Amino acid sequence: MKISGSYTIRAPRQAVWDRLIDPQAIAGCLPGVEKLNQVGEDEYEMSMTVGIGPVRGTYEGKVRLANMNPPDEYQMHVEGSGRPGFVRGTGTVRLADGPDSTTQITYEGDVEVGGPVAGVAQRMLGGVAKRLVEQFFSCIEKQITGG
Amino acid sequence: MAVTKLFGASVKRREDPRLITGRGNFTDHIKLPGTLFMALKRSPHAHARIVRIDASKARAMPGVVAVYTGQDLVDKLAPVPCAWLIPDSDLKVPSYRALAVDKVRYVGDAVAAVVAENRYVAEDALEAIDVEYEVLPAIVDQERATQDGAPQLYDDVPNNIAFHWKLHAGDFDSAWNQAEVKLSRRLINHRLIPTAMEPRGALAHYNPGTGDLTIWCTSQNPHVHRLLLSAVTGIPETRIRVIATDVGGGFGSKIPMYSGEMLASAISRDLGRPIKWFESRRENYVATIHGRDHIQYVDLAATRDGKVTGIRVKSYANLGAYLSTASPGVPTWLFGLMLSGAYAILAVHVDVFGVVTNTTPTDAYRGAGRPEATYLLERMMDLLARELGMDPAEIRRKNFIPKEQFPYTTATGLQYDSGNYEATLDRALELVNYQQLRREQEELRAQGRYLGIGFSTYVEVCGLAPSAAAGAMGFQGGLWESATVRVHPSGKVSVFTGSNPHGQGEETTFAQLVADELGVPIDDIEIVHGDTEMIPFGMGTYGSRSLAVGGTAVIMATRKVKEKATKIAAHLLEVAPEDVAFENGRFFVKGAPDRAKTFQEVAGAAYLAWSMPEGVTPGLEETHFHDPINNTFPFGCHICVVEVDADTGKVSFRKYVAVDDVGNVVNPMIVDGQVHGGIAQGLAQAVYEYAAYDENGQLLTATLMDYAVPKASMLPRFDVDRTVTPTPVNPMGAKGAGETGTIASTPAVANAIIDALSPFGIDHIDIPLTPERIWRAVQERRG
Amino acid sequence: MQITVKVNGVAHTHDVEPRMLLVHFLRDVLNLTGTHIGCDTSQCGACTVLMNGKAVKSCTVFAVQADGAEITTIEGLARDGQLHPVQEGFWEMHGLQCGYCTPGMIMTAVDLLQRIPNPTEEQIRHYLEGNLCRCTGYHNIVRAVQYAAEKMRA
Repeated sequence: MKISGSYTIRAPRQAVWDRLIDPQAIAGCLPGVEKLNQVGEDEYEMSMTVGIGPVRGTYEGKVRLANMNPPDEYQMHVEGSGRPGFVRGTGTVRLADGPDSTTQITYEGDVEVGGPVAGVAQRMLGGVAKRLVEQFFSCIEKQITGG
Repeated sequence: MAVTKLFGASVKRREDPRLITGRGNFTDHIKLPGTLFMALKRSPHAHARIVRIDASKARAMPGVVAVYTGQDLVDKLAPVPCAWLIPDSDLKVPSYRALAVDKVRYVGDAVAAVVAENRYVAEDALEAIDVEYEVLPAIVDQERATQDGAPQLYDDVPNNIAFHWKLHAGDFDSAWNQAEVKLSRRLINHRLIPTAMEPRGALAHYNPGTGDLTIWCTSQNPHVHRLLLSAVTGIPETRIRVIATDVGGGFGSKIPMYSGEMLASAISRDLGRPIKWFESRRENYVATIHGRDHIQYVDLAATRDGKVTGIRVKSYANLGAYLSTASPGVPTWLFGLMLSGAYAILAVHVDVFGVVTNTTPTDAYRGAGRPEATYLLERMMDLLARELGMDPAEIRRKNFIPKEQFPYTTATGLQYDSGNYEATLDRALELVNYQQLRREQEELRAQGRYLGIGFSTYVEVCGLAPSAAAGAMGFQGGLWESATVRVHPSGKVSVFTGSNPHGQGEETTFAQLVADELGVPIDDIEIVHGDTEMIPFGMGTYGSRSLAVGGTAVIMATRKVKEKATKIAAHLLEVAPEDVAFENGRFFVKGAPDRAKTFQEVAGAAYLAWSMPEGVTPGLEETHFHDPINNTFPFGCHICVVEVDADTGKVSFRKYVAVDDVGNVVNPMIVDGQVHGGIAQGLAQAVYEYAAYDENGQLLTATLMDYAVPKASMLPRFDVDRTVTPTPVNPMGAKGAGETGTIASTPAVANAIIDALSPFGIDHIDIPLTPERIWRAVQERRG
Repeated sequence: MQITVKVNGVAHTHDVEPRMLLVHFLRDVLNLTGTHIGCDTSQCGACTVLMNGKAVKSCTVFAVQADGAEITTIEGLARDGQLHPVQEGFWEMHGLQCGYCTPGMIMTAVDLLQRIPNPTEEQIRHYLEGNLCRCTGYHNIVRAVQYAAEKMRA
């Protein structure tokens, strides 16, 4: 399933970039993250509890950041599996200067959900994915602006 | 003629008392001491390389006895067999391991088996097995799978095409060139999930002391499973006993050989303990076969006055990731041969591409090939009627094979045994009060209400046989059936049949046949099936063949018994056999009816054998293997009347009339029931059921929450009627009724809905015609 | 955990795991295999039994929740060798084919007729929504329930 969108953060590009690749910031802003440990360069292990529709479960997985081109662009690979199934995704995040020292973030990605959760998730996910991403960026924004 | 003639009587079913009191003998009810439970770890990915399987944590769990991976069993279990090797098609049968060894190719492909002290522990242990996959791109759509650049499932199946089968009968090209009217369409016949209410399972018990494997399993054909189990395990057939007494529905899904039964057997032999495996519904949905799934391109040639002169079909059939036991035969022979249906169409060209994709394997699901052919043809007939402004009933009438022409040889080479197609159409028109219905349709349209009337005038091939035809089609087995009739000294009768009913009621209908033949009370007759140790080799129940083929075997064996009993009776009565008559269970001297012996007295004499006629051996038991001379071809007309709410897309069923001709009927109550159930499944394909995959090969409809098996409130009542045109193929004149409803109903329902939507200029929407699809189509037309 | 459940009039006391489902307790512990399992999402209703007189899906009830309860399964429906009218209706009207959904279907129908002694066809179809049958198309199941309703009113 393809997801894409954009979001504007009221903060300069470098500040946004620093937060977006900061494991603590990510852990604090991704909903349901229980732990996030660095296991390699730009690679993290995490444990996340997510409910998709009626199916709620804990997923163990990895997050890897790649093709880092600061402060313009990076790729993110996510892989997680748990009792309800698995989630895999790849996405590209691009940063650009917006007006009045804001940062324009555009993202596009491909998410695959499998296992028992697939039937439920596929239909729900389209609707909620965008909201989850926006929630994430809004949280990052709050961290930077202290708002 | 027996006074108590049961042929044609709605005898209450003899299997029911155990089933309505909770005393059935279903596989999961069987318990053996020391049984271990097996659970299968299945791939969550549609296409991936297996990098590593770490089962150490699972093996260490308390209660876990063993964990097997594909590698552990390579030498102990041959691949899952494919038994329909269609000739002249360049068929490729890729290796299908019970546990995948290098790659997984669909969500549900098994990678490991856990064996534990109970099912809860076994399920827990599955979670502890760590499988590392390298995920590969997946392909789901069978047409795209054949195109350049598509992911490849196998190195040796180029473009994912497992076979290209063709049948070119008659001269389609000239029909097409001379056609006054040409119609071309792309039709989807989507994927369905059989959903027998009892999932599949097995209890396998290998006794290391005797070398015997006994397996209780959910099977439509126990002997076929015995043969295949022997082939994959290497255990001799003589050492394998397959038992499937009560089976909770099959609809084709319990014909094939599957990994579960194979693994339970092999692991029981390995551990020397009974192994029980029973799938969950989710497993059933991803790992038991699916059905249908064609993408069809159709060209229809016709004259301006509505006569069809030729049909050309190119179909992409989705076989799924591997070739299931009978899968190559379903979209080819069972589909292509029937493409001219009830009509005299002299040119039929069919090309079928059997394509492997990263989806659950497909195989025979109720109707198997014939629903795909019938929907296509009946939909095209409606499109043609629309094109020409003809009444859909009249265009059918115009093209029917006239009743004088039976037996009729079709362009594709089948010999239709008997038929009177117009009679079923006329009767159905009368039952729905057709002319008035059309007037009502007009009136309602004026009020903005949309009534639709849909037809299906089908013919199908059933009573699957004869063996020579099976051989010519590449089916690796015969299609005869067996029966042994054993008369006991008391005159009670046991009938052992190779058919294996699982809802069809042959414990009743076969007993009716024998009771009539022998003139004994039906309560004196027991029908034994589903145990290879007791019955002669039999081919099983599918393809609406049990009565036509299995029932005939029963009759023939019974007649042999009667013949022998007549000799013994004649001897006892001290007359020549020609002078003995048999009526109502009594042998008597012609012209002197008081000089008589009852059937029971003769049975007793046969076993005492104190005084037997010259050359007649003791006992009274006969076996007959019946290989019919032809298939049978039931036909009929179904008319569905719906009202469609154009604003919401909701379909309401106003009336459903089925007039079938299945030849003579042994038990009308049971035939009605078969027709009801068949209609329900075909109707569900038209409006409800749809197995949906996402582009990564995840089955989205993997539970009964998501896959729309109809509920009681979703179905109408069915008005069922019949005409009777006996078949000359068997002594009963009976054809078969197991699949007619499913084959007929999908196009009847779809045609009704499209008819309702015709004021919007809509002439086709692909099934299933869900409210959403209807609503979208209407919105599009409304702009 | 120790539980005591009265099943078909007989009290049974057993130690069970807290996560054991009632349907497994009936089938595996008490050997009452007439109650069937047809799904894992509580859709099919093959496992329907009466708990304290009301129809429940025993795959959605833990055995421990049935502690102290009275359960009637399909095996306990006939009394003194006399079929319950609903059982009789299913036999008379050919309301079953393979018989796998039948026990649950019958138990739900018994519950229906306790609540609505004279149901319309629409009410019957609506009430049976939680029980799936793949063989009959429900046509004869409806007739079976109607037969039983009439018989029970008589």
